[in-house]
Amino acid sequence: MVFPAKKVLRYIFALFFIVSLNFFLPRAMPGDPVINLLGEDFIAGKEAVEKIREELGLNRPILVQYASYWKNLLRFDFGYSYHFRARVSSLIISRLKWTFILVAPSLILGTIIGALAGSLAGWKRKSKGNTFSFLFFLFIYCSPPFFISLLLLYFFGFRLGLFPLKGFYTTGNWIDILKHLFLPVLIMTLFSASRNYMVMRGSVLQEKEKLYVWYARAKGHLEDSILFQHVFKNASLPVITLFALDFGFLFSGALFIEIVFSLNGMGTLIYQSILSRDYPVLQGTFLTISFMVIIANYLTDWIYNWIDPRVRANR
Amino acid sequence: MIQHKKKIAIVLLTVFSLFFLMTFVSHGEEVVLRIGSPNMVSTANLVFDDYLPVFAHISNPPLTKMNTEGQIVGQSAKLIEVSSDNTTWTFHLNDSLYWSDGQKVTPQDVKFTIEFIAQNVPWAGWLKEGLQDISIQGPNAVVLKFKKPHTQINRDLSSYNLLPKHIWEKVESPQDYSNPGENIGCGPFYIKKVDLNAGIITMEKNPYWKGQTPQIGKIEIHLYNNVDVLSLALEKGDVDTYYRYASSYPYQNIERLKKTGRFDFVEKLNIGLYFLAFNLKRTPMSDFKFREAISYAINYPEILKLDGLDYGNLPARGFVPNSMDHFFETELLTYDLEKANRLLGEAGYIDSDKNGIREDLAGKDINLTMLVEPDYVRRSELIKYYLEEVGIKVTMKNVDESTWIALKDQYEYDITVTRTTPWGMMVHGGWGTAYFDSRRTGEGVLHIIDDPIFLGLVDGLLSTTDPGKIKELAHSVQSYYAENIPAIALYWNMIITPFNREFTGWQPDPLFGIYNIDNFVNLKKVF
Repeated sequence: MVFPAKKVLRYIFALFFIVSLNFFLPRAMPGDPVINLLGEDFIAGKEAVEKIREELGLNRPILVQYASYWKNLLRFDFGYSYHFRARVSSLIISRLKWTFILVAPSLILGTIIGALAGSLAGWKRKSKGNTFSFLFFLFIYCSPPFFISLLLLYFFGFRLGLFPLKGFYTTGNWIDILKHLFLPVLIMTLFSASRNYMVMRGSVLQEKEKLYVWYARAKGHLEDSILFQHVFKNASLPVITLFALDFGFLFSGALFIEIVFSLNGMGTLIYQSILSRDYPVLQGTFLTISFMVIIANYLTDWIYNWIDPRVRANR
Repeated sequence: MIQHKKKIAIVLLTVFSLFFLMTFVSHGEEVVLRIGSPNMVSTANLVFDDYLPVFAHISNPPLTKMNTEGQIVGQSAKLIEVSSDNTTWTFHLNDSLYWSDGQKVTPQDVKFTIEFIAQNVPWAGWLKEGLQDISIQGPNAVVLKFKKPHTQINRDLSSYNLLPKHIWEKVESPQDYSNPGENIGCGPFYIKKVDLNAGIITMEKNPYWKGQTPQIGKIEIHLYNNVDVLSLALEKGDVDTYYRYASSYPYQNIERLKKTGRFDFVEKLNIGLYFLAFNLKRTPMSDFKFREAISYAINYPEILKLDGLDYGNLPARGFVPNSMDHFFETELLTYDLEKANRLLGEAGYIDSDKNGIREDLAGKDINLTMLVEPDYVRRSELIKYYLEEVGIKVTMKNVDESTWIALKDQYEYDITVTRTTPWGMMVHGGWGTAYFDSRRTGEGVLHIIDDPIFLGLVDGLLSTTDPGKIKELAHSVQSYYAENIPAIALYWNMIITPFNREFTGWQPDPLFGIYNIDNFVNLKKVF
């Protein structure tokens, strides 16, 4: 029990450090949230600006603001958004719901497709099908997300008219939602799959040279059975790490895809908050992401223990 | 076999008949105008969001408006009076206005709106500080008494929407208030729904509207985060027109839309403009001779062609575009490289060490820091190229918008390319004075002029409602710009709005473009 307790302590320390960083990092950026609040063509006297600063509590010494930030946080109060004019917690919850619907299926599908296709590509490297799949996933892997998004939107949305160009829905029924989400989910799945494909392919290439593979072969096991019963499990450890990382960042949304498809997700929330220097939203969203990354890491450790006896043995 | 064919024919006939019947029925449905806009609404708050208040100008019309000729006239107010000392303004309310829930619009609503704005809207602090008293006079008038003369209140109130007192007085925390459902309005249309996940704002006809009956039944504003995708949506027919506050449809996409044969374009010369600003607090920008020489180094026809694709006019030294009320004709800005070089030499900026860079009056190579916002990179690159042609080195400092604001407020730059909006050109003293007056601040405000002559002109404009005097001062401000060149207009651009030819009767105004009540009540679907 000592070891997990140590680990929990380490995670608590990481969380404290992150929470503090979340406070200081946005404030380290040049820019003034108050002037941003005025809008492009509103003109004000300098006294009026100072008054707004006072109302927002931004005129207080930085350490006083930091103490108040901690105090609010311990009451689970993320504060109030200057730009979105709403409680940060309700903003994050409303955006998280749709981000989750967009990102979670892509993550799961991308991991399954990438891991399976990657393991096959690593196992039978020289087959025509695997050469093609390698080139395809390499192309996706190297392409900027906005480029692929615009390309697919142009062909399937604009040219063929099969899918809508924007939003999570128009009417709101589930077929309508599926139609709207098809392209964004497809694109995110492709990117997730390409990452997993590359990792899995490399991992299988390493594993297949190991002695236990030769031993299984000598015992007369079929190739497919060696791959999926023995090699796959050992080769999938880096994919689990990648999944955990992606899971943590699931809550940061998918900025480029959200911009191309005009989706109201976490990505655009963070982006707009950075542009407008909306400190409370930045603090709240970064904290959510950090928290999820920490949980994901903890779960990865746990899964590693469960899946790999070598890790258990080293404890 | 023949019987089968007959049966098939009957079935087909029935299907086609039903189809035509459905088509006929759908033709009988209300006409929907779909507007595509990249002005993303963040929250369903009619007062505090960046763009929803602009869209709500037709559902909650402000007391005043700018007409198509660019003059401020009454809108929800039918008559506006001002006392001779400019401290008391009386707004006589249009008595045929009704909220979409059937209640009459009353002077109490106007009083509530003004008090609400003064109390709650951070950028309307001037109203809170300046307003001495607000009272209701007779059955339909509201009187605003200010502590000191206020000459532009009719103009300033053209951007604040009228709010129904019986709804908003119950709102406990107006800044957090978000109503994605029905927002009661008193214009020809009211907001039925704000669905940000669908990216659609739906506006329906106000059943109690007594003015000119709109021909279109419903307006849908479709929000797009990406202008290129919005252009595709126009081409595909997902939306009928385009609206972006204070901006044109991207010039580079116009030809593509023209080729579809389904679009026409409303063209209006913008009141706002793109310009090169100097930090007058630093040398050599504080030297008039230097600025004058720079004004001849810029290739205006080329920048208009490359950046504006010739959708605009060549600018004059007086800065203010000729589309603005009380425009004063000054000398056109011209590109004359030889003159620019000669003027720089005469002013003492010479390249004595022959390294290709001129030295300032202290003998150091001139290296200007140009602050560049993401939206102005191409324009800035052109300016850098022009200045380097006359031996002035320019270092571009690319920053995001917030950093740009912070650095320009700290005067941490030498030159920058930026823009004015129509509203920005009109506020404060008007004619762009808000951007230069050192006593003001704001996102786009440069506050670089503290010359008492200029400040005197601004104060003059701020203290009179006499049309003759205003015209005279407006001309003097433009002369001041022409004589001192605190900034250089790069070109006067057109606001181009594409629209589906199925709709006619477009009436843009210089402030909000096509987004005004007169436009929407006049629009007709012709096919």
